[in-house]
Amino acid sequence: MITVFSQSLRRWKWQIVGWGSVLLVITLYLMWLYKPMLEQQAQLKNLLDAYGKEMLAFFGGAVDLFSPAGYLNFGFFSYIPVVVGILALLLGAGLVAADEEKGTLDLILAHPIPRTALFWGRWLALAVALGAVLLLTWLGFALGLPLSGLDTTVGELLLPHISLFSVLILFAALALFLSLVLPSRTLAASVTAALLVASYVVTSLASVNDKLAPINNLSPLKYYQGGNAVDGLNWGYLLGTLAAALIFTLLAWLLFLRRDIRVSGEHGWTLSWRWAAKKG
Amino acid sequence: MNTSTTVLLAQGLTKSYGRVQALRGVDLEVKQGEIFGFLGPNGAGKTTTIRILLDLIRPDGGTVRVLGLDPQKDSLAVRARCGYLPGELHLEESERVETILRQFNAFRGGKADWGYVRSLAERLGLDLKMPARNLSKGNKQKVGVVQALMHRPELLLLDEPTSGLDPLMQQEVHRLIRGAKADGATVFFSSHVMAEVEQLAERVGIIRQGVVVEVAETQTLIKRALRRARVRFAGGFQAPALEGVRGVSLLSRDGDTLVLQVEGEMDALIKELAKYPVAEFETERPSLEEIFLAYYER
Repeated sequence: MITVFSQSLRRWKWQIVGWGSVLLVITLYLMWLYKPMLEQQAQLKNLLDAYGKEMLAFFGGAVDLFSPAGYLNFGFFSYIPVVVGILALLLGAGLVAADEEKGTLDLILAHPIPRTALFWGRWLALAVALGAVLLLTWLGFALGLPLSGLDTTVGELLLPHISLFSVLILFAALALFLSLVLPSRTLAASVTAALLVASYVVTSLASVNDKLAPINNLSPLKYYQGGNAVDGLNWGYLLGTLAAALIFTLLAWLLFLRRDIRVSGEHGWTLSWRWAAKKG
Repeated sequence: MNTSTTVLLAQGLTKSYGRVQALRGVDLEVKQGEIFGFLGPNGAGKTTTIRILLDLIRPDGGTVRVLGLDPQKDSLAVRARCGYLPGELHLEESERVETILRQFNAFRGGKADWGYVRSLAERLGLDLKMPARNLSKGNKQKVGVVQALMHRPELLLLDEPTSGLDPLMQQEVHRLIRGAKADGATVFFSSHVMAEVEQLAERVGIIRQGVVVEVAETQTLIKRALRRARVRFAGGFQAPALEGVRGVSLLSRDGDTLVLQVEGEMDALIKELAKYPVAEFETERPSLEEIFLAYYER
């Protein structure tokens, strides 16, 4: 499992560095921007008031922009699950299916590696990769904090990242599960991306439309706290999201244990649930 | 070496992919230390059989034993003792050959002797420093051959081992396979190249539409099969009818010349011909290819 874990991390090192460094620069810039924005508070308030509340809902709602939670939500945490979610779901959908589609998994699994070790080794590497990206993101906030004068601490800034991590892991797990059920990882990633965007839209609009409350209960992003987590984590939401991720991961693992390893051109590209039903 | 030990056993193996029935009851037995050729055209079930042996896919029915073990229950033990070359070899394009081989070796707990890996690469003219993305199909196949052999496995499962290699390299791979056998390994390889099976295999199994239709020693199969005999009688002697002779049937008659098909031993025909003035007598032994095609025409 350690071999698989280290090889997977090595494979993703440039993605970690690329995503992490871009996000580090963005968060550093955001922190630097806080002071100038604070100086033009009045004009900005007028500008924001001109926008409809539906519009502001997509940026964390009509909250106090200059509070730590409001600013972090507006500038970063409200939309970032969709952005970094793309990385998470691509890694999840490709965790097993990428090698399967390339045809390299066949030879890997002809070696004495348990499927369980391969699966969990890669899953752990995925979690570490996402964690490393978020750590670099947090580093940007932490380095910029003294410049900003934002009324929060480095420790409190870590909390929204923990909430974000739980959501990213959930969408990665969903994509992984779908990649083992649907005929291709592209389809699995597309379906997961559609669900991610739908969740973002529903949860954002639910803050201004009460009729969306029932459907919002099913939206994963309802349980994402974003910048509000600087005031304290909702442990129920956090553990619930992680539990959902664990369920999808366990289902994916069980599917991976019992399924045939597909090789292109060998009649293996039917929906696996049909195959499973046939096997009964 | 105990040559009577069964290394590979399949009984009534069935496998379907949706509506496509790939295996319809494959029966096979391979003994320790032999080179066994598994012959069949594309889609006959060769690859499916090999992948079941390594637990990459699961059969719908039947039993399998590899090195005395059940590949599903003792999957790791089976895979640890086998070397496998897939029919469709794909490598991690972003890595160098040496990195790929070291990764495979890490999966085996670093069991391979790296000096041996280098010697294999040298014999095949494989540059270990080359990135996989720059390799030709033939060079990729060489990587596949090296990784299958490098840990000196007890059983080699090779799916089309010389696919994409030039004739010189094919001969080198044949030598490596014979070398592995000399060191005590059992070799089970699939091929649709008849000349290769004829040259390399001691026994051959022919698979047709998911069923093994023949298993025999390669030479026995060739000897046992139909032969063609051409007889020209001397001095314009009119060819007699020889169709009554056991195992003989007439293919064509042209004046004093007959072309006959003989099944089994030639003895009865030769004794019958001894009664007549024979000017020329030629026989043709069929190639494995002709035998193979005969099975497919049935």
